[in-house]
Amino acid sequence: MRTIAMLLGLTATPAAAQTIAVTHAEAWTMERAEPVRDATIVIEGGKVVSVTPGGAVPQGASVIDARGKPVTPGLVSGATQIGLVEVSGSGDTRDQASTDERNSGFDVSRALNGNSTLVSLTRADGVTRALIYPSPSRTPPFNGEASIARLRDRVDILDTSDVAVYAVIGGGAWERLGSRASQWSALHKVLGDARRAMAAPAGDEKKDKKDKREGPRGRRGGHHAGEEMIREVLRGEVPLAIQTHRESDIRQAAALAGEYGIRVVIVGGAEAWRAAEPLAAAKIPVVLDPQANLPGSFDQLGVRQDNAALLARAGVTVAIGQAGGAIHSNYNAGMALREGAGIAVANGLPYADALRAVTVNPLSIWGRGGGMLTAGSDADLVVWDGDPLEPSTNAMAVIVEGRQVSTRSRQDLLAERYRDIR
Amino acid sequence: MGMGGRFGSAIAAAALLTVPGAAQVRQAPWRDDPFPSRYMPAAPDDMLLRGATVLDGAGGRIDGGDVLVRGGRIVAVGKALANPGVREVDAKGRWITPGVIDVHSHDGTYVLPLTDIDREASDVSEVASPNAADTWIETAVNAQDMAFDRALAAGVTTIQILPGSTPIFAGRSVVVKPLRAPTVWGMKAVGGVQGFKMACGENPKSWGADDDNDGPTSRQGVIAYMRQGFLDAQAYGRERAAGKVARDLRKEALLGILAGDVRVNLHCYRAGDIAAVLSVAKEFGFRIGAIHHATEAYKIPGLLRESGTCAAVWADWWGFKMEAQDAVRAEAPLLERAGACVMMHSDSPADGQRLNITAAKAAAAGRRIGIDTPPETMIKWTTSNPAKLLGLDRQVGTLAPGYRADLVLWSGDPFSIYSKADLVLIDGAVAWDRAKPRTGPVSDFELGRGGVR
Repeated sequence: MRTIAMLLGLTATPAAAQTIAVTHAEAWTMERAEPVRDATIVIEGGKVVSVTPGGAVPQGASVIDARGKPVTPGLVSGATQIGLVEVSGSGDTRDQASTDERNSGFDVSRALNGNSTLVSLTRADGVTRALIYPSPSRTPPFNGEASIARLRDRVDILDTSDVAVYAVIGGGAWERLGSRASQWSALHKVLGDARRAMAAPAGDEKKDKKDKREGPRGRRGGHHAGEEMIREVLRGEVPLAIQTHRESDIRQAAALAGEYGIRVVIVGGAEAWRAAEPLAAAKIPVVLDPQANLPGSFDQLGVRQDNAALLARAGVTVAIGQAGGAIHSNYNAGMALREGAGIAVANGLPYADALRAVTVNPLSIWGRGGGMLTAGSDADLVVWDGDPLEPSTNAMAVIVEGRQVSTRSRQDLLAERYRDIR
Repeated sequence: MGMGGRFGSAIAAAALLTVPGAAQVRQAPWRDDPFPSRYMPAAPDDMLLRGATVLDGAGGRIDGGDVLVRGGRIVAVGKALANPGVREVDAKGRWITPGVIDVHSHDGTYVLPLTDIDREASDVSEVASPNAADTWIETAVNAQDMAFDRALAAGVTTIQILPGSTPIFAGRSVVVKPLRAPTVWGMKAVGGVQGFKMACGENPKSWGADDDNDGPTSRQGVIAYMRQGFLDAQAYGRERAAGKVARDLRKEALLGILAGDVRVNLHCYRAGDIAAVLSVAKEFGFRIGAIHHATEAYKIPGLLRESGTCAAVWADWWGFKMEAQDAVRAEAPLLERAGACVMMHSDSPADGQRLNITAAKAAAAGRRIGIDTPPETMIKWTTSNPAKLLGLDRQVGTLAPGYRADLVLWSGDPFSIYSKADLVLIDGAVAWDRAKPRTGPVSDFELGRGGVR
């Protein structure tokens, strides 16, 4: 048995079939609202084997002593664009948007870059998975298809592609169809046309089935046209994510979900608290930014920091994403997520619910499942040096797919290089 | 007759200039304030805050400390203070700090919600020319920006509103209290040093590179533009003193910088950019108050220290443009340990509500490289150090007898995400009381729109 010192940057030997035991953990399993104290968490083969108070350490396991500090499932961003952008001010380093007018399908998975400095910093801040979404495209109101990323410390960070069709409705500075009425109309037309085509006993549907046999859904590398994804939305296989803020649009979204019998996810939702009841009734979850308390646009006039608490109280599933707005939601995707969850707690969301909003909920909303720290869970977890929702807390050890990964970002390397300069 | 005054090749730092042949003494024209403040402190709420953890802003900490506030001023800070007969507030388990000071805000000019009207013509920067030295940002400030209310509720008591960083000489700043008033002049704080904004690097050169604009297109061009601007101002000063030329507001403002009466806040990121502007300041004999953003200041703390120039920094803005690639969260603790003057700044109405949290992030990043910063030091980054930059360090930013009573009673540790400003005092009057949210300020813009609180 080797003991891994709780020092930053010191990682366990990257053995393929590594057994790791995290000892003396305040383990947030996410099964209940309280942590398991003095837990031993045993990890093997990329899975959590056991979480046991005072549990034994298996022979040969690498040990990470949590020293009584919190251990949580790896955090999950409900919406970010890390891996698609490097220097946002420079267009030649951005991959968030498609300008292809021929294909409404824009699958971001082929652009994901695990070597990005934004990804390593996000991972160092305790995030192990994230929903990566496309920006507005040339086929409004559709942006394209979102992916789930797994923040391994290598270039391939794709977990699951095509997990949602992503659309944007409302006022905004980007190229739109004019009035939001036209945006809704375009969305209804696409869904209506696809539903009629699916109902017709034509050959197209057979062709689709043949396509589906090519491999498991979500690993197809994004070669399908947007129309195919719309059929998946109509079949209930993936949600339609609608990024929108205004109460009137959120109510339109709830009505749309009922009319077509589809799963809808609201992203943004500054005024979602005003439509909490219809959202709860339609089982529409909301991915929101709890930091927001100033309206970026007229669509967001009702923005308030207890949005998450009000929605959760009404029975709406809430996840945190796009946290911190323009710069932070990508450049500090991990820190802003924790800060946002902390602000949600400060504004009335129960602590355990806030942790769920950055673990279990985003994975369930985006159809992935998981995000727990229980026997059989994916071994994505983080050892913290304090309350993970405090920005003053550091992630001491991050484990992705059962392997301890580096928590040193490029910022750490720069800071160390100049530490003794006077 | 125009103004009088004598300008040597080295500009006198004296505030008052004798008009030759005239009986009266007239102050240097750049010291005139054409837009005088109408701010009047509210009636004071005298009180004795008992038993808090007190961070005095100047590096001191008292556990179980009391603060006595009377007549708008801090009368005493200590333990077991005698109550002269004022309201007593039980502050056990809570913390008291000076009010937060944000030295880099665009509140009132970058007013949310933004509309196409802002995108067409923003009030953040005057961009007709790289030289907007004649502008006063207060003439643009919309006092109805709800960001002022959010800042106040977050414990901010002093805000410097700067013009944007598109022009090289961007114009004068204004310092305000985030209080409700029909105009910015009802918020304008006086008694400090007049601030001025300059910019180097990507922002001004990108503007100049646009075909429609006439300005430098490179870093070297921007620095040359600055030097020529100061040379022209010096020549103007000599000619003006000789009564040869008409008044020029731009050159007059730059003369104020050279005289040491107008303090430069310089937007710069890269170490080389910072070193270059410090050299320009040395060449022309003035001191830059602070480098703002200063994302690479941690590479050259000695240069800042020797120049007497502070760094106003974010904790965690980085990467969004090339000159911000090397920003590190640990910058503030690195500069603090190197003996340089450092403070947190926001540049955004969202981050401006959490400058102490910004300090907490910076301190946490410092721990990652073995630098521990205690709370009594961290609080300097958001209180007494920014007060120095504004020339208000004998008035606010520190809890000590005689200081204006700008202070915050926090529900807990001010560096915790869960803590809130329970009570915010400005000039010894309660400006925000969390127990009475309905009495809190609401801007005219918000009124009647429903839902926004």
